[in-house]
Amino acid sequence: MELTGEYRIAAPRQQVWEALNDAEVLQACIPGCQELEKTSDTEMLAKVTLKIGPVKATFGGEVELVNIDAPKSYTIQGEGKGGIAGFAKGSADVVLAEDGDDTILTYNASAEVGGKLAQLGNRLIQSTARKLAAAFFDNFHERLNQSTPEDA
Amino acid sequence: MTKVSMNVNGKKVSRDVPDETLLSDFLREKLRLTGTHVGCDTSQCGACVVHVNGKAVKSCTTLAVSLEGAEVTTIEGLANGKELHPMQVAFNDNHGLQCGFCTPGMIMTSVDMVARYKAEGRKLTSDLIRQELEGNICRCTGYHNIVKSIEDASAKM
Amino acid sequence: MTTGIGNPVKRKEDRRFTTGRGRYTDDVRNDNQAYAAFVRSPHAHARVKSIDTKAALAMEGVIDVLNGKQLTGDGIGNLICGWAISSKDGSPMNMGAWSALATEKVRYVGDAVAVVIAETQALARIAAEAVEVDYETLPVAASLTAAMAKGAPQIHDNAPGNLIYDWGLGDEAAADAGLKAAKHVTTLDLTNNRLSPNPMEPRSAVASYDAAEEHYTLYTTSQNPHVARLVLSAFYNVAPEHKLRVIAPDVGGGFGSKIYIYPEEITCLWASMKTNRSVKWTSDRSEAFLTDMHGRDHVTTAQMGFDENGKITGFKVDTIANLGAYMSLFSSSVPTYLYAPLMSGQYDIQNIYCNVRAVYTNTVPVDAYRGAGRPEAAYLVERMMETAARELNMDPAELRRRNFVQSFPHQTPVLMAYDAGDFPKLLDMAQKSADVAGFPARKAEAAKRGKLRGLGYSTFIEACGLAPSKAAGSLGAGVGLWESAEVRVNPVGSIEVLTGSHSHGQGHETTFAQIVAERFDIPVENVSIVHGDTDKVQFGMGTYGSRSAPVGMSAVVKAMDKVEAKVKKIAAHALEASEDDLVIEGGAVKVKGTDKQMLWHEVGLAAYTAHNLPDGMEPGLKETAFFDPVNFSFPSGAFICEVEVDPDTGVTEIVQFVAADDFGTIINPMIVEGQVHGGVAQGIGQAMMEQVVYDDNGQLLTGSYMDYTMPRAADLPFYKVSHQVTPSPNNPLGVKGCGEAGAIGAPPAVINAITDAIGNNHLNMPATAHAVWQAIRAGKSAMAAE
Repeated sequence: MELTGEYRIAAPRQQVWEALNDAEVLQACIPGCQELEKTSDTEMLAKVTLKIGPVKATFGGEVELVNIDAPKSYTIQGEGKGGIAGFAKGSADVVLAEDGDDTILTYNASAEVGGKLAQLGNRLIQSTARKLAAAFFDNFHERLNQSTPEDA
Repeated sequence: MTKVSMNVNGKKVSRDVPDETLLSDFLREKLRLTGTHVGCDTSQCGACVVHVNGKAVKSCTTLAVSLEGAEVTTIEGLANGKELHPMQVAFNDNHGLQCGFCTPGMIMTSVDMVARYKAEGRKLTSDLIRQELEGNICRCTGYHNIVKSIEDASAKM
Repeated sequence: MTTGIGNPVKRKEDRRFTTGRGRYTDDVRNDNQAYAAFVRSPHAHARVKSIDTKAALAMEGVIDVLNGKQLTGDGIGNLICGWAISSKDGSPMNMGAWSALATEKVRYVGDAVAVVIAETQALARIAAEAVEVDYETLPVAASLTAAMAKGAPQIHDNAPGNLIYDWGLGDEAAADAGLKAAKHVTTLDLTNNRLSPNPMEPRSAVASYDAAEEHYTLYTTSQNPHVARLVLSAFYNVAPEHKLRVIAPDVGGGFGSKIYIYPEEITCLWASMKTNRSVKWTSDRSEAFLTDMHGRDHVTTAQMGFDENGKITGFKVDTIANLGAYMSLFSSSVPTYLYAPLMSGQYDIQNIYCNVRAVYTNTVPVDAYRGAGRPEAAYLVERMMETAARELNMDPAELRRRNFVQSFPHQTPVLMAYDAGDFPKLLDMAQKSADVAGFPARKAEAAKRGKLRGLGYSTFIEACGLAPSKAAGSLGAGVGLWESAEVRVNPVGSIEVLTGSHSHGQGHETTFAQIVAERFDIPVENVSIVHGDTDKVQFGMGTYGSRSAPVGMSAVVKAMDKVEAKVKKIAAHALEASEDDLVIEGGAVKVKGTDKQMLWHEVGLAAYTAHNLPDGMEPGLKETAFFDPVNFSFPSGAFICEVEVDPDTGVTEIVQFVAADDFGTIINPMIVEGQVHGGVAQGIGQAMMEQVVYDDNGQLLTGSYMDYTMPRAADLPFYKVSHQVTPSPNNPLGVKGCGEAGAIGAPPAVINAITDAIGNNHLNMPATAHAVWQAIRAGKSAMAAE
């Protein structure tokens, strides 16, 4: 399952890049994220609560940043276990392009689920994943657009 | 734990149960009325249908504690003593059951169905019976004889 | 006599079922009841690196958490497949190891790795969530294509390329020559969709261990409790046979899926010993979808050749069968000996060859489901006949008639010797019942309403009454396939019949009583049928493959022969008459042409008081018999399905379904018709609704009744059922078996009707509205292209 999106963010690329590497920003933007703890420059431990169809579960797992080409692009990937609810895996290739004073963020994400989530929630996964991805980048976009004027 | 009291098959019962206890579990495990069956976990199959205050409900999706003071009838309480309900007789007469697992839910659904149509003065055709059985799955009979059973009982109820 | 053979006697078992007093496995609750919940893999293929049970064990009310290393450490054996199939090159099948709880690797989503035993079911399930399993995921082969691809993930080390066997039946050179000599060759590629059997009662097991006696008792949802006991003791080493009692009480449907011994029963028995508690496990429906054996799942390419008169000259079949992640108990036999020998259908075909490759995939195992191999064969043969008729521009009924076997017994080139039948007459009956002559007018009338009307045939044969033990043994079966019976006449004259057959909806308590009531002319109420308990009933083989009437009842008849002989000796002695002058009728043993008689219960009493028995005769009146059939039985059928399709939406309605069957002698027409109804419904389900789907990662996408379409009342029509009787010469009652016919014959009739309606032969099962709509569109663009 592939999901893509594009956002124009009214902030310079370096600032967007820093935000994308800031655990606090990520925690605030990841929907349902309860904890996000940095264990190294590129690794984090996360706890995320998700509801897909009839299944609601808290996923504990690792988030990792790879393919880093600062400040242009990286891949953020994660895998979480939700106990008997199953597991969820996802990754997103995020690319930042400069456009005047703005930054164009594009992402290409994929998601995979297993166990009870797949069995009972499958019909809803595509739409849920799209919604979650959109929510993350919406939150991120909004946060940066809010913070930019203050910085300026 | 919450104490819940209800009338089940004409008898007053009271039990302390965890709040999440489903009526199906309450009947099967607390009262040992095992005629109410559980055939799925998504409220689709209808093997668990009982009557609450005269209406058919799926006991697998009803919380026991929500039924304080309710009148509950299960398949065990349908017959009048030794005398079977006309629907029970009709299922036997028309070979409306094979393995018997879906049967309690089928019969409870059917009794409610016929009573509802009678109360509303509507005629229950075989097509309507098939539509009304939307929430009850049988894997044995192919439904042919279940529909016949309900038509038969409908004429006698 | 209104209760004997041929009468629609109302079922004796119904009273308990209609009043909620049936007793199913989950209704059993022992005093020291504990509950099991399994920790299952969410991955289709992974290595188990570690299992952390600390958190679960720390929960109050958790009794124990057990894993596969402990299980194998206690000497519990691997699950086995009981039918050895050899490849064409003579090599044995590649059976991979299957432990009831996985130790090193999991191979399908749902594979169990540990079990939690707790005080309540809810607690067991919560604790199962707390068990932390660390998996190292492996590449997945969830489909036949993925499993057979170059470099595919290796599911079992001993099955290179995931191939279990490459097997053939028939004469390949002869089939090739037949095709070469043909004037016309029809080629067909088709799939037989994967199904989930879905008996309404989920599987359940209640195991108890008696430490004082070192004895186990298992209540379980089984179609064959004796086979379960045998396999549990001989192969899985759970307990010696004499220390294990298996009871299959009321069982809520099986359809094949409750033949096998599953990991859960083994684990519950073992866990009951480990914890010294009675251990109960009941599947929920989600678990059932993940772990109950599936059915069908074939991909086939076939060619059939015809001469200028429409006679078949040769038939060549190449099938790939998906057996899932492990070889279930009878899985190997389903796509081989229950499939290829049926390739001759109702037709006289001299040259047949069938090649079958069985393949592992990362999915739940596949085994017998109602019909088992025979539906797959009938679907292929009958789709082939209809397709050929269209290509040859012939009436499909006429093409069939030109090829029907006309005389019996008939030896096919694929092992089978058909016993009896009258295929032309059966088709006549079906055509009359379906008013085929009036079809063109109905089609024209439907066209006026904008509907496409189509008609499809299926004239099929099945091999039932499994099976002659010697023949089965020579083909690789690990067991004999006879049946046993014991007939006990009590001192008061009532009769108990103990049978190895098992009833889980078939109505044995009525039909078996009918044959006894008929034989001894006593009320059917005075006969009771005992089955399903290894402590009560001697060894028997159980119920599957439409065998209870042709094999199980035949054993009862043999036992009754012995009872009658003794009854006549006792009565002749008491009445001072010749045995030859005695008749049993009207509840008495009478001396023909006189008024001398002994009432039935007087004979019973005489046998037990033993005051006046012939010299040397043992007291008592109880006889045992084993019946081993000399051949399969061959029920045949002619089904005609008529559909109307909405060309704008693809929505298809079955407007008429005619089933004309030849089951030989019919004991109870009401029950037989019920069996046909249910079988046809499952066949229509396969043809139009049902399909198990795994995604590429091996995740089950059809895991509930919200995603797997079960036929409901409004999806199905009333069925027009009729019978012709050509008795089987191979058993005393002349019965052939009726349990599977509907599921075998219906799918091709439905697909033949829909493809006839839409004018496009390319349509796979399940023919959902969407699939039909797509086929209509594809047919239109193909026509436009021409």
